[in-house]
Amino acid sequence: MQSDLLLIQQLQEGNAKALSSLYDKYAGALYGVILRICKDEGKAQDVLQETFLKIWNNASSYKADKGRFYTWAYRIARNTALNEVRSPSKLIQTEDLGVYKETEVSEEVPVDVAKLNGSIRQLESHHQKALELVYFNGLTHREAHEEMGVPLGTFKSYVQQALRKLRELYGVEMILMIGVLIEWML
Amino acid sequence: MDAMMDKKEILESGLLERYLIGEVSETEQLQVERYLQDSEIRKHYGQLEADFERMAMENAVSPPPQVKEGLMDKVGSKTPQQPPINANRSALKSYLAIAAALALLFGISSFWMYTKLNGVEDQLELVRSQNDILSDELEDLTKNYDDVINTYEITSNPKTEKLIMLGNQNSPQATAVTYVNHTDKTVFIDAEGLPKLSEEHDYQLWADVEGEMIDMGVIAKGENFLAMNYIDHAESYNITIEPAGGSDHPTVERLITNVYLQ
Repeated sequence: MQSDLLLIQQLQEGNAKALSSLYDKYAGALYGVILRICKDEGKAQDVLQETFLKIWNNASSYKADKGRFYTWAYRIARNTALNEVRSPSKLIQTEDLGVYKETEVSEEVPVDVAKLNGSIRQLESHHQKALELVYFNGLTHREAHEEMGVPLGTFKSYVQQALRKLRELYGVEMILMIGVLIEWML
Repeated sequence: MDAMMDKKEILESGLLERYLIGEVSETEQLQVERYLQDSEIRKHYGQLEADFERMAMENAVSPPPQVKEGLMDKVGSKTPQQPPINANRSALKSYLAIAAALALLFGISSFWMYTKLNGVEDQLELVRSQNDILSDELEDLTKNYDDVINTYEITSNPKTEKLIMLGNQNSPQATAVTYVNHTDKTVFIDAEGLPKLSEEHDYQLWADVEGEMIDMGVIAKGENFLAMNYIDHAESYNITIEPAGGSDHPTVERLITNVYLQ
């Protein structure tokens, strides 16, 4: 992540090109989360832009020794999206705009985000669901365990087991990749 | 043992996961940041971060381009209130930049000089071979010059007699000129006016001394002005056509010209 460190340093110095590069690298991943929280493309686009404006304006508050840049950006995106979805003023505004607007804002999940991709799909369905709820849908653990109808302790262990399983999958992939690499070098 | 339990508890509490996604109170946040001082917990957390990031990347959705355009417009309008620069770092950076630029410049100029050198070597080689050619030509010219000077000295010497030999009926168009110097005892012949002979024949010059023909030498083909053997008491000079390389005795019926000495 050496290149990231340099980009982030430039970002913190107010370099717009660095912002552009970081956007190219991370906007897709963040948009995937935001879209799954907002469940509305128009809103999600606004939230994505707002997220990167916050990243730009608050770049100096990111501290590399506390974790990855992506994690920091994810928290901003998640909070911004949750505020957008839960904001009561926005709700009133939508009601004021009448029936037409209401149908447009209906909770219709865009097709391409209806299901998850990658290694998470190899997990058991309740593990998938647990990760999806807290990570992609922005639910708190408390909200999520109610949503799934299991006790909080059970839900927590679902999350842990899911992550352990994911670690194994990524680990195996890594070993396979190294194997292929070594074979290629030989 | 207590510390071990603590670590295990922390790892299994789900607190790190909630911290990661930003779902913790301020108190919990400080608590986690304290836990993260521990290298084992830190390592575990780093792994979680990497896995979450990867999972997110696998579920990325491309946003429409106008989102970025709008963002860059907004950012561009506010632009660079040049932030407090870390002087050392930027100084180091500019040194590095200068060093890199110099290295690049050095690389380019080395390459340029190398190609130049190759070109110069080629040119030097060309000049050398031209020089060789020129010096050969000069040598030839010098030789020609010496010959001409030599000829001039011979022909212009007041003690040199010039004898013109005209062809008889055997070779009517033939002319030759002999230059005789009785003081120096030299004879030269200008054979330019003699018709060309085939490979099998040569002209040969003879001196008539009291009725006997004495060999003065074969007139070498391709030479226009050459020294012959001086013979004392010659009464006439005679040219015959002989088999290539010349003969011991003249073939009289093939006499083409003769001249009497005074």
